[in-house]
Amino acid sequence: MTAVEAARASLQDAAREAALARQRDRGKLTARERVAALLDAGSFLEVGGFATAEPDGEAGRRQSPADGVVTGTGRIEGRAAVVVAQDFSVAGGSIGRLGTAKTVHAVETAVARGLPLVMLLDGGGHRIQDGQDARSFAHASPLIRTLARASGWVPLVSLMLGPGFAGPTNFAGLSDLVVMVRGISAMGMAGPALVKAATGEDIDQDALGGADAQAHAHGLADLAVEDEAAAFETARRFLSYLPASARAPQAVRPCVDPADRRDEALLHLVPEDRRRGFDVRLAIAGIADRNSVFELKPRYAANMVTALARLDGRPVGILANQSLRLGGIIDAAAAEKGARFIAFCDAYSIPLVSLIDVPGFLIGSGAERSGLGRRSAKLPFEWAHATVPRISVVLRKGYGLGYIAMAGGRSMQADAAFAWPNAEICAMSIEGSVDVAYRRDYAAAPDPAARRQELIDGIRARTGALRAAEGFGLDDVIDPRDTRARIIEVLRQAEGREHGGMPPKKRAIPPI
Amino acid sequence: MAAIRVNSEMAGSIWKLLVAVGDEVAEGADLLLLESMKMEIPVAAPRSGKVAEIRVEEGETVAEGQCLLVLAG
Repeated sequence: MTAVEAARASLQDAAREAALARQRDRGKLTARERVAALLDAGSFLEVGGFATAEPDGEAGRRQSPADGVVTGTGRIEGRAAVVVAQDFSVAGGSIGRLGTAKTVHAVETAVARGLPLVMLLDGGGHRIQDGQDARSFAHASPLIRTLARASGWVPLVSLMLGPGFAGPTNFAGLSDLVVMVRGISAMGMAGPALVKAATGEDIDQDALGGADAQAHAHGLADLAVEDEAAAFETARRFLSYLPASARAPQAVRPCVDPADRRDEALLHLVPEDRRRGFDVRLAIAGIADRNSVFELKPRYAANMVTALARLDGRPVGILANQSLRLGGIIDAAAAEKGARFIAFCDAYSIPLVSLIDVPGFLIGSGAERSGLGRRSAKLPFEWAHATVPRISVVLRKGYGLGYIAMAGGRSMQADAAFAWPNAEICAMSIEGSVDVAYRRDYAAAPDPAARRQELIDGIRARTGALRAAEGFGLDDVIDPRDTRARIIEVLRQAEGREHGGMPPKKRAIPPI
Repeated sequence: MAAIRVNSEMAGSIWKLLVAVGDEVAEGADLLLLESMKMEIPVAAPRSGKVAEIRVEEGETVAEGQCLLVLAG
């Protein structure tokens, strides 16, 4: 046993301080410190710790402890999970042959056992010594296919804890949660040096693919955080809403917030001036269990809020139009953000709540250039293929295709379709419809402005919530203060409902 | 810091200017209100700075990507 213990001791940080010095100089934790910080104390069970590159290879045994990636299982808040931590101190965190085998094995373990996978990424992609040899590289890596097939079966989390260009960026692209740490994380298709060499473009790492660029401007990351501890906390919080796998029980928690709690502030949340924005996150906070709201991509496409939350202890996904950003109009980024969120919640059987205040999809040449015609179809596509219970509440505007894309009325067979009393539901903006259809009418009137206003008032009187309910487009017009209680009651009754009845097609074709 | 241009994220018309040349603004402060698709859309300062130039007038129609004003560091 002595030789085994000595070999095991040689893998620990205490035996590798010289190799770890640069990692520490960069202000980063080591791979093993990260695993310990993420998991419940003492719960890590390593797999493949002794794996190492051939002693006669480019990177000898001493240079490749665990072949640059620490893998195994552990517990997060008492629940089992699989963890992969790239070790930047071993050949720059590059992915070698055995490192690849270990990572694939970890993904397969997560798939076979039905456990979440958390990847702590800090590496430079393919190990050049292995990669620049066709004899090796022609095999290519089965890792990305394995991850792609795991997507939607077990929760996938990528914490970007260093440079993660190329391969790791693809892992992140397949993940359900991507977190970056300001100052140390970067990702993208290639790093600044390769970009410069190949294209001549001069750009620094942060501007190219730093935490703020990827989280706020590009939407590849869900959240940018200040330090590694916050990244681990974010991963733990995210997983607390999710089942261990797509067929595991929901992560329901006891709830102390009364199901019938009324939030008085909801009564006055929507401004009287219909042009004015209001913060829809206040509606979400008033409806959800106290302190249960966890917003994803808060600064990317902020006109579409996507948040995990709990209602009476049950996890839900909340989709809401944010009128403070672009008036709540749905542009291409918002459509994709929302659609992906629906697919994610559906994969893990998390019911959806849609809070609607939408003036429509973006229109004009900019919208067309962004391919909104096809990208706008992603929202209805995902609603139509989702099988989870869903509830819609029109808070204010339910206009046009946007209303359908938010699952308003009977469009997506909502388990309940509600509206607040001042909701306004119609095919297009009221003023716009008057200007398009009645311009000649009011232009010929003695007082065109007065006639135009008369036409607008006439239409507005026919677009209210009560009239919508009279035509049975809605189930009920509800007191805003009762929104929480009404949604909770429907979710209790609809729990386990599967929206089925799909024609027997082989597969769906998403409007990518 | 270098001056930065604040561009319109969408087509619309200038509803209300909320700052004047020379004003110091904090990051996130509303600079003007754009009107588009019958909604008031606030345009916020991407970072703190001094309003160096205002390139639009109230009522003017602007295109997506058009420069609205310039902030100096």
